[in-house]
Amino acid sequence: MIATALSSLILATLAAGAVLALQHARRWRAGQPAGVDIVAGLKALPGRYLVDVHHVVARKSFNARFHALTAGGFLASLPLLVLAAVPALRGWLLWGLLALALAVMLGGALMVGYRRRVEKPAELSQGRFKRLPYALLAYAAAFLVVALDQLAGGVLPWPLALAFVLAGAWGGAELILGVGRGPLKHALNGALHLVAHPRPARFHDRAGRDTGLRPADLEAPKLGSERPLDFAWNRLLGFDACVQCGRCEVACPAYAADLPLNPKKLIQDLVTAMDTAADGERRTDASYAGHNHPGRPIGLAQGGAALPLVGPGAMIHPDTLWACTTCRACVQECPMMIEHVDAVIDLRRFQTLELGATPAKAAAVLEELRVTDNPGGKPLARRTDWAVDLNLPLLAEKGQCDVLLWLGDGAFDLRVQRSLRALVGLMRRAGIDFAVLGEEELDSGDVARRLGDEATFQDLARRNIATLSRYRFGRIVTADPHALHVIRNEYPSFGGHWTVTHHTAFLLELVESGKLTLKGPTGGSVTYHDPCYLGRYNGEIEAPRRLLDAIGLQRVEMERSGLRSSCCGGGGGAPLTDVAGKRRIPDVRMDHARATGAERVAVACPTCTLMLEGVVGQRPAVAEISELVLEAVA
Amino acid sequence: MLKVAVLLSIGRHPASGRPRRAPLDARALELALRLPGAEIHAVHAGDPAEPVLRDYLGMGLDRLTVLEIPAGSDPVPALVAHLKALSPDLILAGRCAEGGEDSGMLPYLVAQGLGAALLPDVADLSAGEGTATLTQALPRGRRRQAEARFPLVVSVHPAAPEPRQSAFARARRGLVEAVAASAPQDGFIGECEIRPWRPRPKRLRLAAGGSALERLKAATETKSGQGQVLVRPTADEAARAIYEYLVEQRVIGTS
Amino acid sequence: MRTRRDPRAERQAKLVPGTARPRFLVGAAPAGFANAGAATGPTGRPRRDPRASRAAAVVRTAPRLRLDWTNKGQASLAIGTAQAAAAVKAAVRVIEEPAFLVLAVLDQPGGAPSDHDRQLIAGARLLADAGGGAVVAVTVEGVSGLGEAGADRLLALPADLAEGYEPERHAAAVLAAIETLKPRHVLFAESADGGADLARRVAAALGERLFAGVEALSPDRASRRARGGAAEMARAPARLMSVAADALPPHEGTVHEARTIPAPAFEAERRIGAVRPLAVDPDLIPLTETDFILSAGNGVTDWEGFAELARVLGATRGGSRVVCDEGHLPRERQVGASGSLVRAGCYVAYGIAGAPQHLQGITEVKRVVAINTDLHAEMIKRADLAIVADAQEVMPALIRHALERRAERQGKERRNA
Repeated sequence: MIATALSSLILATLAAGAVLALQHARRWRAGQPAGVDIVAGLKALPGRYLVDVHHVVARKSFNARFHALTAGGFLASLPLLVLAAVPALRGWLLWGLLALALAVMLGGALMVGYRRRVEKPAELSQGRFKRLPYALLAYAAAFLVVALDQLAGGVLPWPLALAFVLAGAWGGAELILGVGRGPLKHALNGALHLVAHPRPARFHDRAGRDTGLRPADLEAPKLGSERPLDFAWNRLLGFDACVQCGRCEVACPAYAADLPLNPKKLIQDLVTAMDTAADGERRTDASYAGHNHPGRPIGLAQGGAALPLVGPGAMIHPDTLWACTTCRACVQECPMMIEHVDAVIDLRRFQTLELGATPAKAAAVLEELRVTDNPGGKPLARRTDWAVDLNLPLLAEKGQCDVLLWLGDGAFDLRVQRSLRALVGLMRRAGIDFAVLGEEELDSGDVARRLGDEATFQDLARRNIATLSRYRFGRIVTADPHALHVIRNEYPSFGGHWTVTHHTAFLLELVESGKLTLKGPTGGSVTYHDPCYLGRYNGEIEAPRRLLDAIGLQRVEMERSGLRSSCCGGGGGAPLTDVAGKRRIPDVRMDHARATGAERVAVACPTCTLMLEGVVGQRPAVAEISELVLEAVA
Repeated sequence: MLKVAVLLSIGRHPASGRPRRAPLDARALELALRLPGAEIHAVHAGDPAEPVLRDYLGMGLDRLTVLEIPAGSDPVPALVAHLKALSPDLILAGRCAEGGEDSGMLPYLVAQGLGAALLPDVADLSAGEGTATLTQALPRGRRRQAEARFPLVVSVHPAAPEPRQSAFARARRGLVEAVAASAPQDGFIGECEIRPWRPRPKRLRLAAGGSALERLKAATETKSGQGQVLVRPTADEAARAIYEYLVEQRVIGTS
Repeated sequence: MRTRRDPRAERQAKLVPGTARPRFLVGAAPAGFANAGAATGPTGRPRRDPRASRAAAVVRTAPRLRLDWTNKGQASLAIGTAQAAAAVKAAVRVIEEPAFLVLAVLDQPGGAPSDHDRQLIAGARLLADAGGGAVVAVTVEGVSGLGEAGADRLLALPADLAEGYEPERHAAAVLAAIETLKPRHVLFAESADGGADLARRVAAALGERLFAGVEALSPDRASRRARGGAAEMARAPARLMSVAADALPPHEGTVHEARTIPAPAFEAERRIGAVRPLAVDPDLIPLTETDFILSAGNGVTDWEGFAELARVLGATRGGSRVVCDEGHLPRERQVGASGSLVRAGCYVAYGIAGAPQHLQGITEVKRVVAINTDLHAEMIKRADLAIVADAQEVMPALIRHALERRAERQGKERRNA
């Protein structure tokens, strides 16, 4: 009788859960169509879960363990409980297996309880999530008692046994119905998101990395995303998979500097707006129980699935949208593989292309870009002014070369010119056959694209591609990771396919092949700051480090480095949109550098150089890697 | 309802020489767009196929009338004829239209042609019944208020509010309406010799008087000053030195 | 009886004293010649002293010798100063029967002729002298000193035109003058103080072309900047021209008679009214427009004091990037490459070291005053007046000093009144 009660309650809950999940699926299914290969996704699901998701979760080993125990035990217990509905199967084997699964789950649940009630990491959301450990414990412990009782042949008096069944069933209901509303939404939506992920190439079964933005169709009736419904369905599904674990919040440089952006809340803003019916119903963010965007009160933002998302009184304040540096730290940390940056760019595209609401200086810079092909509005001929004495060979005159040196817009800046001179000096020493485009080089389009101005980006990209296609050269070398990313990962969509090497990798080649000979150890300590667009966007974290080691500097690592490095605050047009926070992002990053005690911070990106050099007060000197290498060559 | 005409020209970026919206005309349009309940008619005289015209549409205009005249011809007669038919209360234009002679005559000629009043260098305005209250920008940040009766031509000063961003999608959707117009060839420009501008040396104000040293200094002075340096004066000495210098430079009034 | 000559005594008598080498004056020696100045010979002819003029031309000797041979410096030495001045004063050029007239319509912001106005008259002089014409300065009543500036005639319009803002009446007055005098050329000042507006009103009313903003002028050629500054447009001088500021040198050398001629009557319709100047708080003027900026950097800690200082000096506040980042000043107050590029007449850098990006923002500034603790700061190098001191310590003294001086001034005004 107890067994029947047990399995029928679970069956009923599962059925209710299924209905609820279907109902909730309507929310994300209302999104725009997207071409998704479901079959391939389903096939790849286990691999993606076990490798890619696990890789992210395992960065916190305790979490990985309790998740494996809890989820494993829970998922194993469910079919067993369903099987218990068949009287013929109720035997010691079934009850024994069930007890085992539940015991495993109980272990995990205790760990969850420890984390949520004892450790209490600040980034975790409260609210419905608060009850999660109790639900897990109730389900695992109560059903464990019931399973053991059944194994022992039913020694407990039936009212007590029934009480245990009911207690466990409450826990089960909390968990299973939570699949629809949270906290366990991610179990179903997360899996579906892995199946229908908008960037399948980012998983290990494909390229392993996919960071280039997708081109927008400029002929479309609406450009960018205005409302939740303007996103493709599989992207809404992705937002809906968020478990509010807060890892993005911890990683976000804007959040760390108290700029009004919390990536977790940004995704939850989208989810809350999505929760309403599509007929214009409004809902506030009052139900959200985590950290808000710094400096903003909870409960004032309101929106709906069919209402504009961005605006001073809407779900997402413009400052929140424009505070993002597109550094991908949130994406890197998200165990649900949510693409925050894509969402930000889609929202920005609508703001810029449809509304013309790019803030502050950014609008003026976009206009200069359109008319002069560089953000400073300078004559393009002046890009090589700093090198008049270096007689840089022009590709237009040479016709072909081994290495095309892409100078980037940093070439207009006095500070960056210094490091470019160092790089040119090194290439000369190594006897490289190189050339520059000179006047023909236009802005790569990076800033325009991150600010949502896809039209200007596409124009610049097409014209750059046309220029590059006219010449013959071996590969492109650039000191600007933003240009590198755009040419390597985003120009292919417009028909431009070239090999692009970052100057750190290139210099390492020269050192390793003996074309540059080093004087021997130069001494001194250095810490290396990874540019987001080189590290996270392109996975290149080794070459610069090996180069620093090769020239004999004592290298110390910052609190955050490599793929998990923290942004300098210069990406995504953030210095132009200039959203104010309590601190500045580069100041926060410089604190990390100071904490290492290193004499110098090595940088490998013009933007990072400028941002970190703009930090005032006592700080390590900022040196571009090519400057350090030039010091060390014999 | 207030009927506002905005005269728009095509500017050129000083660094690249490429066409763009003329900054002052864009400000004129911005002022018009800020007038509550105004019926805005944007007019350009020139080539309707010029893509940059769409940048004005991107500021939030639905349509833009282009009086189709050949390049190098005088746009004034065509504009005056068009505006006579339209009879707007208020006509806004940048202080100096770009693309033609850049003489800044256009608002005056239009005002003369329509028999309208004209107020130059306007930074802000509000419209009332039959009159407008305008704020003029004067040198050194000074402002002056004036009232003027309609019909009124207003030329807009660079101190007027920054023009809003031109949105790509709105620019694409807006309508450019070409209207055939006749325009006499502009003989005056034809008489002129035109060549690229070469910066010429700055004329020194201190040409006469003073000692030879002073004149040499004036002639060779670079922007990296070679001024007086006071090292570690007392606070009072420093204050006096600064104040005296400011008085000497006529930054602080002495009367 | 023949008188005996004493050649030695004669020779001695003809010796000109006071020169380095022995110099003798041959010929008739007027009495008392020995008292004549070294630079003027006994005949009254100017004498050259090459050594003295070379000595006077020395600008500096170390590290390298520098000489300045422009005549102006020498003139005072080669010719007796008083005599030269007298010679110039005496020569008032009178053009009685001019072949034609050139009108210079003066701008006179605030009532007095400006440097720009003098340049304008000089331009008119240039055109007039090429063909025996005369310059008529169109001014307002009560203006003097235009003869030295090069004006042959003065046409004085009613004084109230300079006081109020009545552009339509002013244009009508100038039109009436043009109608009556039928000048060959009319020159206006291309200035924002009203000259540019007046020129265009007149040109539109006459239905004639205005050659606006002339940058270079000669009797047969005038050129101006066009096409957004990218092109130069040149032609023979037009009838109506407006002259850009500092394009022409002021007139020198001759003094003209500046005879007053009667102003013709005129009348005008008034369509602009209720004119009043708006009180502008200097601190609210945009940085790009203001003429006097007090800019704060890292050396400032007392922000109320800083605001107070700006108020007593009547300056617009600005700041470095760091200051704006920290929120002490709003972002639109930031001066520098990533903020505003300012072109003020005077820029007080208060505790600013002078990062390159900041200096980029003040390249167009005319005068810089810097207060900084570091003698080697870039801003100290850039400054016209540099004070190496703690900016924060100077602040109260400067406020006190400014207030005292203001009180003094006001006291004086009260006594005068």
